[in-house]
Amino acid sequence: MHLKRSSVIKVGRYVGVRAVTVAVAIVISVYLTIIIANAGGYVDEIIISELRFNIYESVRANPMYKGYPPEEIRRIAEERIELEIKKMGLDQHFMIRSFNYLYDALTLNLGRAMKIFSSSGSNRVWDIIGERLPTTVLLFTTANILIFLCELFIGLTLSRRYGSKLDKLAVSLAPLSSMPGWFYGIFMIIIFASWLGILPYGGLVDAPPPEEPLLYALSVLEHMILPLLSWAVAYIPIGVYRMRTFFLMFSMEDYVDYAKARGVPPKVVERRYILRPVLPPVITDFVLVLISSWMGAIVTERVFNWPGVGTLMAEAIAINDAPVIIGAVAIFAYLLGISVVVLDMIYAIVDPRIRVGE
Amino acid sequence: MNKIVTSLIISIMVLNLFCVMPISLKSQQPPKGPWVDEVVFFTESDPDKVVEMMLRNEAQIYFDDLSYPHILRTVKERGLSYTFSYGLYYELTFNPVGPLFPATGKLNPFSNAKIREAMNYIIDRAYIAGEILGGLAVPRYTALTPSFPDYARYADVAYEIESTYKYNFEKGKAIIFEEMQKMGAEFRNGKWYYKGEPVAIKFLIRIEDARKDIGDYVSGQLEKLGFTVEKRYGKSAELSPIWIRGNPANGEWHLYTGGWITTLVNRDEADNFGYFYTKIGRPEPLWQAYENDPEFYAIAQKLYYRNYKSAEERDELMAKALMMSMKESQRIWLVHLASLWVSRPEVSIAYDLAGGYSGSWLWPWTLRYKDKVGGQVKVLSPDLLVEPWNPIAGTNWIFDQSVIRATGETSLLPDPYTGLYWPHRVEKAEVYVKEDLPVRKTLDWVSLIKVGDIVVPGDAWYKWDASQKKIVTVKEALGENVKALAKVIVYYDKELFSGKYKWHDGSTFSIADIIFNFIISHDRADPASPIYDKAYVPDYQAAMETFKGFKIVSKNPLVIEYYTDTWYADAEWIAAVGADDFWPYYLQGPAPWHTLAIGYLAEADRKLAFTADKAKELRVDWMNFIAGPSLEILKSKLQEAISRGFIPYSEVLRDYLSANEPLTRYQNLMNWYNSKGHFWVGNGPFYLEKVDTIAKQIVLRAYRGHVDSADKWLKFGEPMIPELSIQPIGTVIQTQPVVRNLTISTHGIPYRADDLLYVKYLLVHPGGKLTGFAEAVKDGLYQVRLGPDVTGALEEGTAELIIIAVSKLVGTPSITRTTFTVKSLIGYVGEQIAGVKGDLSGLGTRLSSVESKVDALSSQIRGVQNQVSSLSGVVYAAVGISVVSLIVAVAAVFMTRKSKT
Repeated sequence: MHLKRSSVIKVGRYVGVRAVTVAVAIVISVYLTIIIANAGGYVDEIIISELRFNIYESVRANPMYKGYPPEEIRRIAEERIELEIKKMGLDQHFMIRSFNYLYDALTLNLGRAMKIFSSSGSNRVWDIIGERLPTTVLLFTTANILIFLCELFIGLTLSRRYGSKLDKLAVSLAPLSSMPGWFYGIFMIIIFASWLGILPYGGLVDAPPPEEPLLYALSVLEHMILPLLSWAVAYIPIGVYRMRTFFLMFSMEDYVDYAKARGVPPKVVERRYILRPVLPPVITDFVLVLISSWMGAIVTERVFNWPGVGTLMAEAIAINDAPVIIGAVAIFAYLLGISVVVLDMIYAIVDPRIRVGE
Repeated sequence: MNKIVTSLIISIMVLNLFCVMPISLKSQQPPKGPWVDEVVFFTESDPDKVVEMMLRNEAQIYFDDLSYPHILRTVKERGLSYTFSYGLYYELTFNPVGPLFPATGKLNPFSNAKIREAMNYIIDRAYIAGEILGGLAVPRYTALTPSFPDYARYADVAYEIESTYKYNFEKGKAIIFEEMQKMGAEFRNGKWYYKGEPVAIKFLIRIEDARKDIGDYVSGQLEKLGFTVEKRYGKSAELSPIWIRGNPANGEWHLYTGGWITTLVNRDEADNFGYFYTKIGRPEPLWQAYENDPEFYAIAQKLYYRNYKSAEERDELMAKALMMSMKESQRIWLVHLASLWVSRPEVSIAYDLAGGYSGSWLWPWTLRYKDKVGGQVKVLSPDLLVEPWNPIAGTNWIFDQSVIRATGETSLLPDPYTGLYWPHRVEKAEVYVKEDLPVRKTLDWVSLIKVGDIVVPGDAWYKWDASQKKIVTVKEALGENVKALAKVIVYYDKELFSGKYKWHDGSTFSIADIIFNFIISHDRADPASPIYDKAYVPDYQAAMETFKGFKIVSKNPLVIEYYTDTWYADAEWIAAVGADDFWPYYLQGPAPWHTLAIGYLAEADRKLAFTADKAKELRVDWMNFIAGPSLEILKSKLQEAISRGFIPYSEVLRDYLSANEPLTRYQNLMNWYNSKGHFWVGNGPFYLEKVDTIAKQIVLRAYRGHVDSADKWLKFGEPMIPELSIQPIGTVIQTQPVVRNLTISTHGIPYRADDLLYVKYLLVHPGGKLTGFAEAVKDGLYQVRLGPDVTGALEEGTAELIIIAVSKLVGTPSITRTTFTVKSLIGYVGEQIAGVKGDLSGLGTRLSSVESKVDALSSQIRGVQNQVSSLSGVVYAAVGISVVSLIVAVAAVFMTRKSKT
């Protein structure tokens, strides 16, 4: 009982320390993002410059104001500029604003975007990201899970058949991964959409969208084929190679040889002495891939015109919409932080070599 | 049996014929509403993919320009349709501070007006247009847009400028060298130095478009002149703080590759001189650094404020401003881009000369398949659903607005090719303006009357008082004897309130829709109102500067009077201000009063706000009539309106509503929402069928309950650009009259003379230029008559006749040219005499040649005679022999007879 309590305390202390460390890291990374996304406040200058130019141009181009004295034009434009500056919150000094951003980010309030709106018309960062997240998860999480499973099973199979023709083939295919997924995507579009005309060029669903939910879902699936395929071609070969090597390394450990020498059945050796120690890095890999998939993929989304978080981030960066950038990073930082803490706990459970306080 | 079968077959065939004929005829009848049944908007921003998708017929039109030379080639080669709009233009902006920058003490060559002017010679605009932009641009020299009406008006001045300032590197170099030396610079080893340091030009180059290549080209030209060029590449965001907000005196830059855009056909570009060349333009430090020749400044000011009394005075000012602006050259114009718009060949659509397909207000009426009525058209757009849709102050993005325009209609529609307004729900208008205003009219639906004073009636409506909930009259607000610069009497369509004209939800259009617009337009700016919005106040105040009064003269048919100090050079534009100001098409879309009433309730309850600014202030959502969290709030407000029988501004509006109108309308709206899932109700040729916010798609369906047929605006399907053909001239003799026929047609049909504004000619000869007008003979035929006074004024040498035709139906002038030789009468007569002399000497030569030919002939005859003589001997001998032979033969016969007996 005493031992158990001390273990609980140890685990609690360990998790607490890890959580605090991760929390500090999250605060620092989010604040750094705020500073970088705003270029230390210079972005205000950029936004105001563009604002002035565009508002003056819009007033000048408005036939209603033709012939108005310049003072009147100036008054109208300046009032609009002032309102716009207030609307964007740029009337407040950047340093004060940076802490507001930090507070919003850390409390996951996220606030409102400066310029971007969700297609449903909301400028709450949560709504904007929330609108894009499902499509990103649908495509990239699916892609990453499929790729991960393929890598895992093919890698394991090849490690068992080290030196076989299949193994050699897999090794020779590994350089395919020197190109990113979007690169193959372009070729896939040319072949399957432009040349053969059997799959769509991109987008989420057919135009016009089918009325029946089932047909809608099938249409979405059809639109997922090419991006999935392009990512499979780009990322499976190197993943398979990595996993295969990984399994091979672990299968050559001394304790595996010892187990084999002891006459432990091969299946048991594989399950207990190879797969179990491999689990922590594999799980880590899987979790990180899963989280990163929620951030989308900027270029792939562009190539396939997929309305996801990646495109949103690209748009936000291009027009300096700091709250959106900060919001996405904050969510990502939290997910990553939580994952790190949880993974640490999982390691302790699944890896026999790791013990708290030992 | 056979007969029966034959009769049966014939009967079936005849029957089939009868069955088929009505269907095929019917299918060609223009339907009510638009030509096509459905338009689907979806997104794609990759230009190459867009073209591929159109080639595979996965989309029929792209609602953005695709201005890339390789795409133009593909489109031409693979048979897609295309057209051009002209809204974007590039220039070089100079930093005029100097000669030395106060902050750095370094020399700024572009502080010297002569160097700036000389830069016009240094830049080869034709190279930029042809090579860098692959033909998707035309050279531009002046502040006037080459495809807009003002350019056509002053085409002769523009031509002179274009001839004077055409590319001439050596000439420009000579001027720049002379001026640089005057400024104290030294030219050593191919480089300019000032006080021992190289003269460096800091060049801000935009990289998002062709301006990067243009910047590189200009840098090359400057380096050829001996300047050291320091290029700084960047996007708008990176460079605008330097050139727009920065102080030019700091010397952070010398040159910037500027770009400007206009999205509508601007019929009056007179203010461009004040805007682009003087301090009047903008308050930023760069503009405030402009120093002008006092005469030019005065002219630019007059044109900016429209301080001229007649069209002739304006013409004179414009001509001077054009020439003087070249001398000042605070910026030099480079090219006017031809933006490429692409569609499938089987589809037809009206495009706007400045805004292309998406900028055209007439696209919903003109979009059709060339060979059929109905069908679905898929339109690609770079983006959609960018911001919330609400008619008062929703999305202003062109991608959304081009869709919104199809769902509503204004009482007048702008001509996409001229920018002039045509009546849609209006029968006619009378425009009264003060006699000293240089206003003209072009189209027949408007009457223009010039008068002395225009007094606003005291009982005309001026504004809404939110605290007293009443309409304030002009007399109450401004007192007696209020005057206006213009008055418009608008006679709306007689059928407007007949019950046939309906909103998409089935509600009948009524005068309340117009009155509501008047009230809410004022109410939102009144602090006592529950929907007061301070973000709206600056625009409202600006509008009230010129608004003088509104009066309903007749309720049915609707006739209104509108008083204003706003005036334009075109009476049609003044009429449009009056007709559309309170027409229920708001700033960002159409709306009947009952949909805005629920928006009113939502904003008054601080749940939503019409403007983004107020939404931010209240920390609520920006009102969205088509999707998102707004819908539930609007639905609850609709339920509240139904339960309360809510009538907005009931103190006034109830007098304009029938007993059951509010409830009927709210019920219609509820049915509409339950059926379509949104609150966007318009009255245009299409209604909003479906919005998919995740996939970014919008589906519009044809509104077949519309009062107009699809062919109403058919004549705007293709621009009626005049095609000119002039008879060749050859030679013109001074003081001798010349008459040449000029045929003008469009699409192979003679151009109606009434549709042509004018046909001007420009004669450029070695001694200068002359202008005049061609005369109409009949439709499609004009004559250029150059009288003795005109030909007498021409100097000898090669000359050119340039014909410029300006149509009322398109803003772009059509130009044709022919070259000829001018000769003096004396010279010509001398030439003729010399010619006769030459002919005479030629005749002598010909005579001697004939003589010699005759001699030769006689000797030939003699030869023949000799031959004949020699031949006669032979003949005689032969005859002799023959006679002897005959005698011998006869004798032999007789001898033979005697021996037998």
